[in-house]
Amino acid sequence: MQTVGPVVEVRLAIGTVVEEVLQRSGQSIPTAVQALAMIDTGATATVVREDIVKQLNLNPVGITLINTPSSTNVQCYEYLMRLLFPNNVIVESVVIAAPLHGQHIQCLIGRDVLRHGVFIYTGYIDTFTLSF
Amino acid sequence: MLEILIRELQTYEANKSGLIGKSKGKFVLIKDNQVVGVFDTRIDAIRQGYERLGNVPFFVKQIVEIDIPQNFTSNLFGV
Repeated sequence: MQTVGPVVEVRLAIGTVVEEVLQRSGQSIPTAVQALAMIDTGATATVVREDIVKQLNLNPVGITLINTPSSTNVQCYEYLMRLLFPNNVIVESVVIAAPLHGQHIQCLIGRDVLRHGVFIYTGYIDTFTLSF
Repeated sequence: MLEILIRELQTYEANKSGLIGKSKGKFVLIKDNQVVGVFDTRIDAIRQGYERLGNVPFFVKQIVEIDIPQNFTSNLFGV
């Protein structure tokens, strides 16, 4: 875990209200996308890779500014999305879409999601727990 | 450079002082050059956006004088 960090398999789905609107209008519901997510206590908000929102046919619901180690005040789109964790835990949040380097991580789970749960990183036995 | 929601962002800026005067801290819903409504919570504004407009881009923003950026320490970002 020290090498790859605290990562968890999640599925990313459209928000509840989007799903209701699509159902009412007889449109198909995009299938949730499987993603490898890293738990990131250094992230104010949750971030998903830009291609995920395209796969889910989502449209932005806002614009936010972000600061990263290499840039400041970058405008990014926001999307309403559900994060489906193992054991049927569902968290709905407005997430940011941004390019993420590397192929292995498609999502950063930020403090907007972590505020709902308990995250324990137990380094000496190489494990972590995330519970809601 | 963002291409979608530019008009909505401009509409927000054009109406910002009036919105701050009346509804500071609340959430505005904007489509094109029209302020659709002001709501107490972000999720209320987003819900109304989808209910009224459908699955199209729309702009929801908290009405604040100064926007505070979201911060990220990860070097995974491509921006």
